Amino acid sequence: MESSSTSSGSVLQFEDFKSGPRAQTEWGFGGKRKWRDGWLLMAMFLGGIGAGQFVVSTWFFHSVTSAVVGVAIVAVGKTVAHLLYLGQPSRFYRLFLKPRTSWISRGLIFMIVFVAFAAAYLAPDIGFSWVPWTTGSSLGQALWLGAILSASLVMVYDGFVLASCKSITSWNTALMPPLFFTYAIAGGVAMTYLTVTAAGKKILSEGDMTTLDAILLTTMFALVVIYIVNMAASTATARESLRRLVGTRLAVAFIGLAIVAGLLVPLVIAYYRELAVEGTVASVLLAASCILELAGDLSIRHSILSAGLHTPVFSEGL
Amino acid sequence: MVIDLKRCTSCHSCTVACKAEHHTPPGVFWAKVVRLESGKYPTVVRQALPLLCMNCKEPECEKVCPTGATKKRPDGIVIVDSKQCVGCRYCAVACPYGARNFSSDWTDYFTGEKKPSSEFAAHSKKKWMKESDKGVVSKCNFCVDRVEKGLKPACVNACPTEARTFGDLDDPESEVSQLIKKRRGMQLHPEYGTDASVYYLPAR
Repeated sequence: MESSSTSSGSVLQFEDFKSGPRAQTEWGFGGKRKWRDGWLLMAMFLGGIGAGQFVVSTWFFHSVTSAVVGVAIVAVGKTVAHLLYLGQPSRFYRLFLKPRTSWISRGLIFMIVFVAFAAAYLAPDIGFSWVPWTTGSSLGQALWLGAILSASLVMVYDGFVLASCKSITSWNTALMPPLFFTYAIAGGVAMTYLTVTAAGKKILSEGDMTTLDAILLTTMFALVVIYIVNMAASTATARESLRRLVGTRLAVAFIGLAIVAGLLVPLVIAYYRELAVEGTVASVLLAASCILELAGDLSIRHSILSAGLHTPVFSEGL
Repeated sequence: MVIDLKRCTSCHSCTVACKAEHHTPPGVFWAKVVRLESGKYPTVVRQALPLLCMNCKEPECEKVCPTGATKKRPDGIVIVDSKQCVGCRYCAVACPYGARNFSSDWTDYFTGEKKPSSEFAAHSKKKWMKESDKGVVSKCNFCVDRVEKGLKPACVNACPTEARTFGDLDDPESEVSQLIKKRRGMQLHPEYGTDASVYYLPAR
């Protein structure tokens, strides 16, 4: 039973019998159900960028089209991804039953609240002019505040889900919620720019957007560096997670896509654009930067899930 | 439950007895034995460690379960109601002991297909689908049906070296309580605060 095999099914089974750190094989691509388990990663990604897009679109750039796309990504994209992941999707309603202790229940309730508030806030601007409020009225502003608060919770709850797993030391850190939150906001900025551009409009304050993006990218880079240093200084299991992130095939996703393509290149583009480039070249560079940021966002979530290792169940004292 | 590591020979009888009792499909191991090698020559130690659900008094799986499918009975046994489980697998990720198993579908042990290849396989499938289900999480329940009938769990019954002892931890006079007291029984990962109900008696 302890011998490894070439078939992937047996390799996963072997993971159950390992004496050292065990890889979690439940969440993310390459899990027990291969590609299907990747839908959970997609749900986390879509929830983050959708909620982020709503916040960025309504708060900074006042784009109704982009805000609607953001809400749709959460309401449709995240929901469908969750349903595709579940083993028994017909019982999905049961997921809301234990918010007192389960972060999954809390997160899905945040999601419903966000969609309700955001849809109500946007209603007057998308053809429901009969509603007794406008986006600028006091009630409209109250709805917007509710949507912003619940969107923030949607962005951050994935981090709490991972941080609540005590035996996976690379997840069980207070860095997870701010890391997921910052990535979600940056993803929102990227999605806003791409949506507005795709709709044939122009963002009036491209400079402000680049500045916001540069601040977010710098924060994300700092958080990733702290995360790496934290793992290096933590338990043997966390160090093994770090070794997987930087010394195995996973390094392509973590270093190549998440850090270099998803963080450093957009950071260089952001500063370069601020200093020199104007006009069409700047817009093309910005669009490329947004696509790279989104790829980096998906990649870092994938890397974090894949590098999740359980602490060995026993120590040498036995 | 108390497991004497000095007695365990890693024969996997517990694993097989559990499979025979619960008809778990391939890849699902409610009871298993892992081996550890430690030390350096000439003081190398090879140790077998039987693992199963620790049926914790403060179970992480019960806390994180969003549906309420994981429940703790008054007698301390942690059970999964497969009809309430949605297969989100938060419990499997949160369990520090790797005790939870997800089975996306029943498959035959010999053909690997969903269609049973023999009458016995058909019986296994029927029992598994009735007691657990596809697309849900399952785990050791200390053979709750046997315990309710006054029998020992299948793994305890099958262990040829009598390494396993089952009893009431709340009774200070019970055999398990006495063993823990006399032989300094220990829990796995007490630092997580799960207060596991499976104790291990040290091999040395």
